[in-house]
Amino acid sequence: MTARSVLRNEWRLLMADRALRIVLGLFAVLLVYALANGVVWMRFQERTVEAVQTGNVERTRALADELAAIENGAEPASRFADPRAPNVMGGARGSHTAVLEPGPLTALAVGQSDLLPYYYDVNIYTNESSFHQNGEVENPLNLMVGRFDLTFVVIYLLPLLVLALSFNVLSEEREQGTLALTLSQPVSARRVVAAKLAFRALLLVGMVLAASLLGILVTGGFGSPGRVLLWCATVVTYALFWFVLAAWVNSLRRSSAWNATVLVGAWLVLVVVLPAAINIASGLLHPLPSRVQMVTAQREASNEAVNRRSELLARYLEDHPEMAGGVVAEEPGLGALAWAATDAVNRRLEEVTSEHDARRAEQIALVRRYRFLSPALLAQEVLIDAAGTGDARFAGFQSQVRAFAEQWREFFVPAILASEQMDASVLPDVPKFRLEDEEGADVARRAGVPLTVLGALLVLAGVGAGVGLGRVRGAD
Amino acid sequence: MVASETAYPTREIEHMNTPESRHPAELGNGRTALLEARGLSKNYGATRALDSLDLAIAPGEVYCLLGPNGAGKTTTINLFLGFVAPTSGQALIAGLDVSTHDRETKQRIAYIPEQVMLYRNLSGLENLEYFAALGGKGALTPARLTDILVEAGLERSAVDQRVSEYSKGMRQKVGIAIAIAKEADALLLDEPTSGLDPQASNEFSELIERLKDRGVAVLMATHDLFRAKETGTRVGIMRYGRLVTELGTEEIGHADLERIYLKHMHD
Repeated sequence: MTARSVLRNEWRLLMADRALRIVLGLFAVLLVYALANGVVWMRFQERTVEAVQTGNVERTRALADELAAIENGAEPASRFADPRAPNVMGGARGSHTAVLEPGPLTALAVGQSDLLPYYYDVNIYTNESSFHQNGEVENPLNLMVGRFDLTFVVIYLLPLLVLALSFNVLSEEREQGTLALTLSQPVSARRVVAAKLAFRALLLVGMVLAASLLGILVTGGFGSPGRVLLWCATVVTYALFWFVLAAWVNSLRRSSAWNATVLVGAWLVLVVVLPAAINIASGLLHPLPSRVQMVTAQREASNEAVNRRSELLARYLEDHPEMAGGVVAEEPGLGALAWAATDAVNRRLEEVTSEHDARRAEQIALVRRYRFLSPALLAQEVLIDAAGTGDARFAGFQSQVRAFAEQWREFFVPAILASEQMDASVLPDVPKFRLEDEEGADVARRAGVPLTVLGALLVLAGVGAGVGLGRVRGAD
Repeated sequence: MVASETAYPTREIEHMNTPESRHPAELGNGRTALLEARGLSKNYGATRALDSLDLAIAPGEVYCLLGPNGAGKTTTINLFLGFVAPTSGQALIAGLDVSTHDRETKQRIAYIPEQVMLYRNLSGLENLEYFAALGGKGALTPARLTDILVEAGLERSAVDQRVSEYSKGMRQKVGIAIAIAKEADALLLDEPTSGLDPQASNEFSELIERLKDRGVAVLMATHDLFRAKETGTRVGIMRYGRLVTELGTEEIGHADLERIYLKHMHD
């Protein structure tokens, strides 16, 4: 009865407060804008993926047509574009683009999907530098501050709105004098505050979840119910953390102005300062090698390789007898020499990128270690992971593409070294990329720790609020 | 009981915070106390705000606590409301200790502070609906609640007005309406007529009279000697946290009450 009465009263108070209605209306507009932004980005990715897959089919068809024509007596356009040459068929002309489909909930969380590549052209020249380039030209401002998507709204704006609606949930009652009359009734401050916050939570979380479910409905994300559930659970837990924090601060029985100052300070520290500090610390403690270093290494290795092709080929065959397939031409062809040079460049690049990758891993480890300090970092990690736009899914994709590139080389390089020619009959056997996407269980396992810690922070704040509110009497 | 200097039946209070203390619940005539203080004391740090108060108020009785600011009147009300915890002694409502039966005791009381503060953006009716529901009377219909507001003296046309447009007297009437709706057995009033004009004050007293006639026990802290004499069945005079004297209002006149009060203030 109490809860229903408080909910009805809160609704009436809301309806009577024009400023509050305007704020909520603005929030609704922001939600719709963020959702539209996410949907547009997801649609763009879907179109890109479709175009890439069409490209794969068209390249294979063009090769097959040209090979058939040559078989029927036509001449290749040039010696260097002869599709029968394995370095042409396995090179740029016959390359296969490996694609990562947009995460099921990308419309809600753009996450890393505008930063990390979601498709790679794989051919015999694919090397480590390929994995450090993004084919998309993205607005650098977007990359810097992140896209204005639902995750941004949830992580940054939702807490602000929660605090705006709750910073004086109890102090206002005391300041306007209604607390004494309220607590002279057979109700506890704990119950009244809980009911008042429940109303606000229903309102705000309801709006966010409605926008989320609408986005999921529009983009067909309901095919991954586990991810949807994880997304919703994280939004609810994160929002409740801020509500309960507001209740805790209110239970300290200070003025509304004091509450507002403390809570905005908490938002600033937990949502802005700590994540930024952890980010800066990771960059300072484990700086990434400069991209220029990679380009320089690539250029130097290329020059050296061109001058020492024969020597390199001999060393390559010594290191990779399996690639020779037992057929090593007495007089190595141009293709074989070129391949030896390419391989030497690749090895040099691996040295540079392995350093880069090691530093990056150290950065991630540091962030992962200290993310527990900020509920915002924890929630963001789970949200983008649930959306399928987190680091882990992209890392999994990249590692599968690396394996696929190796498979591709194993298919074409022996023929290059043997200076063999290929024909249309090999086309069906050319490796095709098939992504083994992560399972829902993988996502759930990764989300377990951060979500549990977020829940623990919620419980901690809840206990503080419960104890504090238990001490609230009408004569404070 | 020690006879006072006056010819009137006052009871000079001796402080006997001992097991042999008079049991206030025994009111005679088979009546039991609805509001009862037993050796009730409250310290705020080194300050003794209330010192061993013994008090018993029966149904249909209006007990007025008189005394200067800081005498312990509001502290007494707050102890009965459970807003502060006693340092020692007990505040009982219908025999239940307020400290250990918060919910049950609040179910039986209504409270009207010096300023009845309501939700300004809501109407009197909406405020009553809310507080009545908190008091366990959520089933009352808007029509019934409107009748209660009218019974409490509010104009029918004012019922749906926003409280921000109400005078203090109108807000006090909503406070009374909350008490009526709750069907409280006891009413705790903390200087309820302070700042009201004489007419509003008189109307308020009439409402208290009506509740008294229905058997409600009333404890009212007030500075208004005239109102205490008119409304109260007994008055207790407090000073420095102590109940220094207690007298029935039927046996004394206004002038007598004022004289006794001033005498105690100057002792």
